Amino acid sequence: MARSQQPSKPFKSGTRSSSSSQKSFNASGYAKRKSLKSKTLSSGSLGDVYEYQTDKVRRGKLKLKLEKDEIAGAGRPMDEDDGSEDEGGAASSLRPRLLGENDDDDEIGEDEDEEIDSDEAFEESDEERYAGFSFAGSKKSGSKKKIQQRKKPVKSAHLEEVDLNEDSDDAQLQLAGEDDGSEEEEEEEEGDPDEFIDVLDMLDGRGEPQSEDDIKKVDKRGHHEVRAQVDDEDESASSEEDDDEEEDDDADEPIEPDYTPSDLEDEDPSALANLETFITNLDAGRKRKAPEDEPFTTQGQQDRATRKRRLLKEQTQVGVENEFAAQPGSMKLNIDDLLAPLAPSTTLQSLKKSVKVLTSTSNKTKTLSAPLPQRTQEKLDREAAYEQTKGEIDKWSATMRRIKEAEHLSFPLQAESAGKVSNLELAAKFKPTTPLESNISTLLKSAQMREQDLAHTESLKMNHLSVQEVAERRAELGRMRELMFRAEVKAKRVARIKSKAFRRLRKKARGKEKGKLGDGEEEDEGEEGEEAVLKREVERARERATLRHKNTGKWARGMKGRGEVDGDQRREINEMLERGERLRRRVQGRGSDDDSGSDEESGSGEAEDTIRAGAFDELRRLEEGGGGEEVQGKKGKSVFEMKFMKDAMAREQRRADQMVDDFVRELGGGVEGDGEDEEEHEHETDGRSHSHDVLSQRTGGRASFRPGNMTGYLRTVTSLASDTSSVTLKSTDLLPDGTSPSPITTSPLVVPRAVYSPELNTNPNPWLAPLDKSTAAKKKHEVAVGKESGGAEKSKNKLRKRVKKREEEREKEREDAVVDVEMSSVLTLGGGGSAGKSPTKEKKTESHLVVNDDDDEGEDSEVEAQEAALQEKGKGRRKDGQVRAFQQRELVARAFAGDNVVRDFANEKRREMEADAPKEVDTTLAGWGSWGGSGTTKAPPKPYLIKKLAGIDPKSRADYNKRHVVISEKKDKKAAKYQVKDLPYPYTSKAQFERSMDTPLGTEWNTRVGFQRGTLPKVVKKMGTVITPLEKMS
Amino acid sequence: MVKISVLQHAPATHLPSRPGDPTPTSRNLDPLMHPFAKARERTRALNAAKMERIFAKPFVAALEGHIDAVETMSRRPESLTVVASGSWDGGVIVHDIAQRTKLLHVEAAHKGKVSGVCFADETRLLSCGTDRNIKLWDTKSEYVDENGAGPSEPRKPLSIFPGKAAFNSIDHHRTDPLFATASSIVQVWDENKSAAISNLTFPTSTETISAVRFNLSESSVLASIGSDRTFTLYDIRTGKAERRVIMQFRSNALSWSPTFPTSVLLASEDHNLYTFDVRSLNEPTHIYKGHVAAVTSCDWSPTGLEFVSGGWDRTVRVWKEGVGTQPEVYHTKRMQRVTSTLFTADARFVLSGSDDGNLRMWKAKASEKLGILDSRERAAMEYRDSLKERWKFDPQVGRISRTRHVPKPVHKASQLKRTMLDARRVKEERRRKHTRAGESKPKAERKKVVVAEQT
Repeated sequence: MARSQQPSKPFKSGTRSSSSSQKSFNASGYAKRKSLKSKTLSSGSLGDVYEYQTDKVRRGKLKLKLEKDEIAGAGRPMDEDDGSEDEGGAASSLRPRLLGENDDDDEIGEDEDEEIDSDEAFEESDEERYAGFSFAGSKKSGSKKKIQQRKKPVKSAHLEEVDLNEDSDDAQLQLAGEDDGSEEEEEEEEGDPDEFIDVLDMLDGRGEPQSEDDIKKVDKRGHHEVRAQVDDEDESASSEEDDDEEEDDDADEPIEPDYTPSDLEDEDPSALANLETFITNLDAGRKRKAPEDEPFTTQGQQDRATRKRRLLKEQTQVGVENEFAAQPGSMKLNIDDLLAPLAPSTTLQSLKKSVKVLTSTSNKTKTLSAPLPQRTQEKLDREAAYEQTKGEIDKWSATMRRIKEAEHLSFPLQAESAGKVSNLELAAKFKPTTPLESNISTLLKSAQMREQDLAHTESLKMNHLSVQEVAERRAELGRMRELMFRAEVKAKRVARIKSKAFRRLRKKARGKEKGKLGDGEEEDEGEEGEEAVLKREVERARERATLRHKNTGKWARGMKGRGEVDGDQRREINEMLERGERLRRRVQGRGSDDDSGSDEESGSGEAEDTIRAGAFDELRRLEEGGGGEEVQGKKGKSVFEMKFMKDAMAREQRRADQMVDDFVRELGGGVEGDGEDEEEHEHETDGRSHSHDVLSQRTGGRASFRPGNMTGYLRTVTSLASDTSSVTLKSTDLLPDGTSPSPITTSPLVVPRAVYSPELNTNPNPWLAPLDKSTAAKKKHEVAVGKESGGAEKSKNKLRKRVKKREEEREKEREDAVVDVEMSSVLTLGGGGSAGKSPTKEKKTESHLVVNDDDDEGEDSEVEAQEAALQEKGKGRRKDGQVRAFQQRELVARAFAGDNVVRDFANEKRREMEADAPKEVDTTLAGWGSWGGSGTTKAPPKPYLIKKLAGIDPKSRADYNKRHVVISEKKDKKAAKYQVKDLPYPYTSKAQFERSMDTPLGTEWNTRVGFQRGTLPKVVKKMGTVITPLEKMS
Repeated sequence: MVKISVLQHAPATHLPSRPGDPTPTSRNLDPLMHPFAKARERTRALNAAKMERIFAKPFVAALEGHIDAVETMSRRPESLTVVASGSWDGGVIVHDIAQRTKLLHVEAAHKGKVSGVCFADETRLLSCGTDRNIKLWDTKSEYVDENGAGPSEPRKPLSIFPGKAAFNSIDHHRTDPLFATASSIVQVWDENKSAAISNLTFPTSTETISAVRFNLSESSVLASIGSDRTFTLYDIRTGKAERRVIMQFRSNALSWSPTFPTSVLLASEDHNLYTFDVRSLNEPTHIYKGHVAAVTSCDWSPTGLEFVSGGWDRTVRVWKEGVGTQPEVYHTKRMQRVTSTLFTADARFVLSGSDDGNLRMWKAKASEKLGILDSRERAAMEYRDSLKERWKFDPQVGRISRTRHVPKPVHKASQLKRTMLDARRVKEERRRKHTRAGESKPKAERKKVVVAEQT
């Protein structure tokens, strides 16, 4: 540090002497220094000497600066006087009195900071603590140290230490090695590599000044110059280039195997020459100057060299007198000389090798500075050691953080889990022991059926499959499975249809036989009939109770709402409807006994037909459904076009078809002749084709029944019910599919009902309307008209609830209805003709329909009825004009006359607020403390007698400006028990705290697992286990 | 025949189907059937708090044998039950705390007090004393008759390591055959060598080291406390005393945390305990205030989440890590100044050795039920604990679970202490009020502890 000012001073003196030729150089040098300085300054001011260990960057910077300055000084041709003065300054700068000298120099400009820094460091570190110690020595050692550390990267030294620390075993060995525990030894081991180097440097540096360099310097100025710098203990790394070279040397030497110190010596001149030329090339300014001042410089250099030599002596004398200082200025001593006596021994080579590292550094010819004062040194060592330990122990920080943050800790933390043995593990470990086992294993092995073999083959197969292919394969398999499943389902269904139809036919036949047998027992049947009726009644009641006979139940609605139903569900819906139908039929049968009875009897043959037709119908539908599915499948993926798929499907299809055919044949054969049957069948299907269209559409679409699916016939119906198209919509809504009679038949009878309904709607009293409805709804289904209007409303409601998609359709429907008012009569007539069935039957089915509607009605809640009434009311208003509406309002107003709710509420609130407001109570007692009599004026109340009662300011109330609520501000004492005054510590917000208290913990409010989780303690200790401290896992 | 109608019940409905299964309970899942959840839980929490206090009977046993104060205790590594204790009378006893028997009793192991004991391994015990000797004992219990009386001639140590000064403490390395002793310097010894292999000391120290402990996880690091109010950190790898901290008061005991290797606990003369992070020694990480006299001993629980301290105030206190107040207080009428404390290896019990020459065993959790618990009981206890934890902010619950009845002297002392501290605080405030604004700033309590950190 002290040296750093040395080169700067000649610079200034140079400028003072102001040789014009030097000016340009000075300018450039100044610029250089300026930039350098800014760098150093930016890196921070220079600190204490003793802080250098921790701060490496700063040192590097300082060094840089030093070098720059020095090379400038070296390259500059200087006056003899200046040079000598400079040297003297350099020599004396190591002493504290230099301080004053420096201060005397008024030309100190930009380098002032550094000087001050170094001086300050000097002062504070040395003067106060180590006054007794030689400054020069200490100073030099400090700077020396810096240089050393810059050269030998500090990292390496630290690395060594880290190694020492990390490997605890080594550390132990080391510890065992140091038997005495003396501190000097420790220090050495602690291993400032500098010190080793320094000793050896000293060895070399001793003889250096008088070495061959002296001879060389005469003829080669530049070389000498560089050499001289190298000689100088501070300027060892004089230029950056030089430094680089040296470092290169450092790097190279350990690598080259036989590069003995003597070799190094031999090569020295040439290498140095190279170096010198390199430097001169680089430094143009210096080169330019060189020839001009040559005589001066040579002499100056000689002077410098001699001075330097002298200086070195001085410095070494500072240190302790020892064997290294014994022979000053003699021949250069190197390691080889020392090793020479060992020549005969075999270990010489290895020794040389180990020594090489040392010689490489010794080559740089530096002298060793005196060591730091012991206390300082120790302090530095301790600091370094503490850093090391800290680093070591800091490795636990992640673990500690994890433990800290853990929600639950189970001690011992590092216990190995016992872990259950998996099957795979067992299988992997298995070794056949018994003869049986070994036999089996050999067998398996021979058959290549062992696990690994299988895996091998599989992997072979799967090797050239891409991900997509695999995915396709899997999809294919899935589809296959699906198909098979479908076929299965279909077969099952066919079987069921078959068996059902068969059973029915059988039943009929039996009934017929019975009828034939029991013709004579008509009278008995009367009684028997009574009994049967009763039985039927009971059965019906029972079935009613199950709600499985109609589609208003939750389940049915859910099914409907789902939109699409699969086969099973459809079947179930059908079943349900059938059952409902059956029930209804039974009831009907009782109501119009003779009619239906005759009908039944007359149409028994036909009934068989219908059954059969139904079965066929179903079968056909099934076919269609299957076809649809097939199409769908085809559309979906190309896998179905594959041959095997086709084959499989065809096979399945064939099987199912065969089944169907068999069934058809069986059925046909059972009743009539084949040919006739076929014709009949054909005819029947033909006749039914219209209705079937409708039906199949419905079933195929799998949607619930909606008007969009209606055919032309139905539309006529809607057109007939021009006003309340919803009536018909309703009827279509609830049309049962499947075996129920076709909707065509309904048309003639629906009309009158639809006509009636508006009449009903014109009920004058709005309050009575819903009552009427409800009673009507509750009435028996014989009163068709009254029910019907309700039904109409209800259907309307229902429709309103439908999705928008349907609304469009409905509107279309309405348009049609409006248009087709006139057509109604025509169609009614036509409808009578067009329905190709007997009127009686139509009537019957119609009545069924009515019943159906009605049942729905009855089951629906009163709420809907009321809603309907409201609807009705609105409608009526619209129709009858404003008068009625006004009446209505008036009625309401009358009903609630004198009910000033709002005002009352406001009053109440005001009262509440007043009661809570802060009050001032005058506690003056009349007649006390005042004069009485006539002529006395009433004194204002004394302030101390006015009692102030704290209350709640109306504006601070929670319900302030809220008109519709009164929020009490009174404290709830019972609730206070569950409240806290302040937010408890770990919580940061009220909401957070409330949330934590919100959910109860107990079993009553939690599931078992939730309870366990909620009450799991933070720390779990296993009873009777030793909890060992954390260990490093190796 | 007489017809007997029997009330039948199926055991399957109320008994577990398999031995390990939870007992089936029938309850209505409808939340409407369980109203007033909060109120009910609060009541339960209150009851739990009361029950905890009712069942808080921490004292388990007293182990006799010493005729003077129990100076030091040490538990055997990897053992739940074996604990060695050394006394002022020079005797060393190895207890089996489960059986409450003595495995070894050396009457005059040392002349003067036995200042430190520690186990070298499973069988051998090291003891040091003020007679400047370290002795290595074999604890294999040979000839002890049913009365616990040994042979007529006193037992001989396996080896003796002579020192130059009286030893105050000894601690063994966790894995290696090394141990450290504290006298005027810290010395590291090899079990196989008769002289210390290294001396560790801070150069300017002229103190008497009162305790030395190896770090448990980072086992080459050790720390000592000395009579000149210092705490010193050493590393046997670098072979240096690395850092020294001078505090306001001297410490009496130290203990390294087993789960947080950077954390060291100091029992200070100023009635407080401090934890330091050795990575930053300029201030403690936590201050634990509760004792009303000097804290003489401390020991971490093996979990590292609790520690126990014994004080000159005749109380043993069990602290939670990071909770600086409201420790659990244990005291007995006959227990004198507590000179040594120890946690057992399963973290369930606490041992205290006191001036009266007895070792006492306490439960680490005062209301814990000893013995086997069935799962339902455990669940109930856990439920109660979590209820208490949840409702600790409730004034009633909090008060009940906070309140401790301490002996009158302790209570009075704490009152006095509070008064004094309050007065000091008030004085400080007034002084500050009457100085120029910003002249003297209040200093954080933690910053006051360390006087200097020396490198």
